[in-house]
Amino acid sequence: MTQTLRNLLLFFERDLRIARTYRGPFVLELVEALFGAALFYYVARFVDSPELRQALPQGTSYFAYSLVGFVFFDYLNAALDTFDRSILEARDAGTLEPLLTTQVSLTTILIGSAIYPFVVTTLRIAVYLAWGALLFDFPLRAANWLTVVVVLLASLLAFSGLGILSAAYLLLFKRGNPAKWLILGVSSVVGGMLFPVSILPDWLQLIAHLNPITYALDAMRAALLNDAAVPSIARPILILLFFAVILLPVSLATFNWALLRTKVTGTLTHR
Amino acid sequence: MERLVQNHAYSVCSVPKLPKRLPLCPTRVLRLFSSFRHVINFAVPASAIKVDSLSKSFPPAFGGWRAFLQPFAAPTSPALCGISFEVTPGESVALLGTNGAGKTTLLRILATLLVPTSGSALVAGCDPVRDPAAVRRHLGHHAGTDLGFYPRLTGRENLRFFGRLNYLSDGVLRTRISELAERFELVGALDRQVRTLSAGTLQRLSLFRALLHRPKVLLLDEPTRSLDAIAASEFRRFLKTEVHLHHGTSILFASHILPEIEFLADRVVVLNEGSLVAFDTPSALKSSTGSSSLEEAFFRLTGHYVPSPEEVRPV
Repeated sequence: MTQTLRNLLLFFERDLRIARTYRGPFVLELVEALFGAALFYYVARFVDSPELRQALPQGTSYFAYSLVGFVFFDYLNAALDTFDRSILEARDAGTLEPLLTTQVSLTTILIGSAIYPFVVTTLRIAVYLAWGALLFDFPLRAANWLTVVVVLLASLLAFSGLGILSAAYLLLFKRGNPAKWLILGVSSVVGGMLFPVSILPDWLQLIAHLNPITYALDAMRAALLNDAAVPSIARPILILLFFAVILLPVSLATFNWALLRTKVTGTLTHR
Repeated sequence: MERLVQNHAYSVCSVPKLPKRLPLCPTRVLRLFSSFRHVINFAVPASAIKVDSLSKSFPPAFGGWRAFLQPFAAPTSPALCGISFEVTPGESVALLGTNGAGKTTLLRILATLLVPTSGSALVAGCDPVRDPAAVRRHLGHHAGTDLGFYPRLTGRENLRFFGRLNYLSDGVLRTRISELAERFELVGALDRQVRTLSAGTLQRLSLFRALLHRPKVLLLDEPTRSLDAIAASEFRRFLKTEVHLHHGTSILFASHILPEIEFLADRVVVLNEGSLVAFDTPSALKSSTGSSSLEEAFFRLTGHYVPSPEEVRPV
C-alpha cells in the first residue's frame, strides 16, 4: 500500500517538475479565473428577475449558482481529458513503452498520471471561488468544507471511470473521441450547469438523472452555498459512489483489454 | 550441459576465492551470494530466454471507413514464422537480419510490448504474455527508435523517475547513477534538460536507464545506433566486460554492425523474412557456409548475392 502510494506520488512529482519549467501559464490562469468570475457576476446581474430567483434553491443568487456550476463542470472536463491526454503525451514523447516496461502496474500509471491534473483543477476552482468571494460577494461563509471535500472525492471517483473509458477509446482508435464530446455536450445542457434541471422537459430530465454530473452539481451547491452536512445530502453522494463502483472496474477492464488489443495489433505507439 | 560449460567458461575462471572466515552478517551473505552469482547461474541450467515456435502476424492497416467498420480484422501479415531458440544464462546473443526480418518484433514480444500470435516465450523463466509483471522484474529494455524521456526534465530527473518505478531506493539510485554516469561519460549531461541533449547522448541515457536496476536479461535494439565511433566502441567494451562478463547479464541484441556482433555475441540468430535460418557462433556460421567473413556468411544464409572481393574493392 505504502509502495503504491509512493509510486502514485512519483507521477505527481514528475508532473509538478514538468509544470515548473513552464512559468507563464500559472499567472495567466489566475487572470483568466478573474475574468471568468467577473463574466458570471455581470451576466447574473443582467438576468436577475423574480422568476429566476423562484427557480433557484432558496437563498441562492444566480451568480453563486452559475459560478459553482461552471467551475465544477471543469472537474468533469478534467476527468474526461486527463487520462487520454496522459496517454497522448506519453505516446508523443515516446515514454509510453518505457513506462510499460517498468515494474509498476498499469492502474498505477493511469491513476498516478491523473493526480496532478486533478490537483490543478481543484486549485483552479479554489482561485475562481476566491476571486468571486473577494470581488463579487460570493457567499463562501455558507460553505461546509468537510462536505465539499467528500463531494469532490465522490465526484472524482465517478468521473474517473468515464475518463478511463475515454482513454481506452484513444488507445484503440488513436484520434478523436466522440464519446467524450457527447458526454460533455449532453452534460453541459442537461447537467444543471447554468440552470436547474427542473426547468427541462421530462425526457431531458430523465437523461439528466442518468448523468453523474447532475448529482455532483446538486451536492456541491448544497455543500458550498447552503452549509449542508454529509448526511443531509447522502442521496446524491451515494449515487455518485454507485456510479464509481460500476464505472471504475468496467473502465479499468476495458482499458486493459484495449491495451492488450494494441499489443496484438502492434499499434501501441502508432499515432 | 556441454554447451552451458562452453558458454560459461569465463564464469569458472572468475570465481572469487572463499574468504577465510564466513560471518553470518546479512550484507556479507548477500555480497558473497552476488560474488558467486555466475556459479549459481551455472549450476541452474535454466534459460535466460527461451523462444518456442514463436509466430507473430499483424492485421492489415485499414484507412477511412474500413478502419471504422473492420477495427478487429484478423492478422494476415506475418512478421515472425515459428522461430525457436534459447539464450542460456550469461550468454550474449545477436539478432542479425535485414530490415523487416522480425528482429524488433521479437524483442518487443520479449519486452511484453507485443503479444505473439502463436508459440511461447520465457524470459528468466517467466512468460511475457501470462506474467508480464514478473518478466519486467528481470528485464532491461532499450528500444531503438523512441528513446522515451520527458524532454523538460533533466537526465537525472528522468533516471530517478524510471529507477524508482523499478523499485530502486533513493540511496541505491544515487550510487548507481554516479557509478554509471562516469562509465557512460554523462556526468556533465545529467543535469541538463533532456530536450537540449544530442541524439547520441540520448542513446547513452536510454542504455543507462536499461541498466539502472541491474536486470538479469538485457534486450537491446541497435544499441550503438547514433553513437559516434569512440562512444560506440567504449559502450561495446563496457557491455562486454561489465555487464556481460562481470555481472553475468544475459543479452539479446539486434544489430546491423557485423564487427559489433563478432565482438559482443557468443552466438548469432540469423533471421530472414521472419524465419530463423541459422543459430550458431560467428565462427561456426562462417565455417558452415564456407565464408571468410560474417558478412559473407550472412549473405549466403539469407540467399543474397555475394559480391566477389574485386567488386567490393574501393575504387
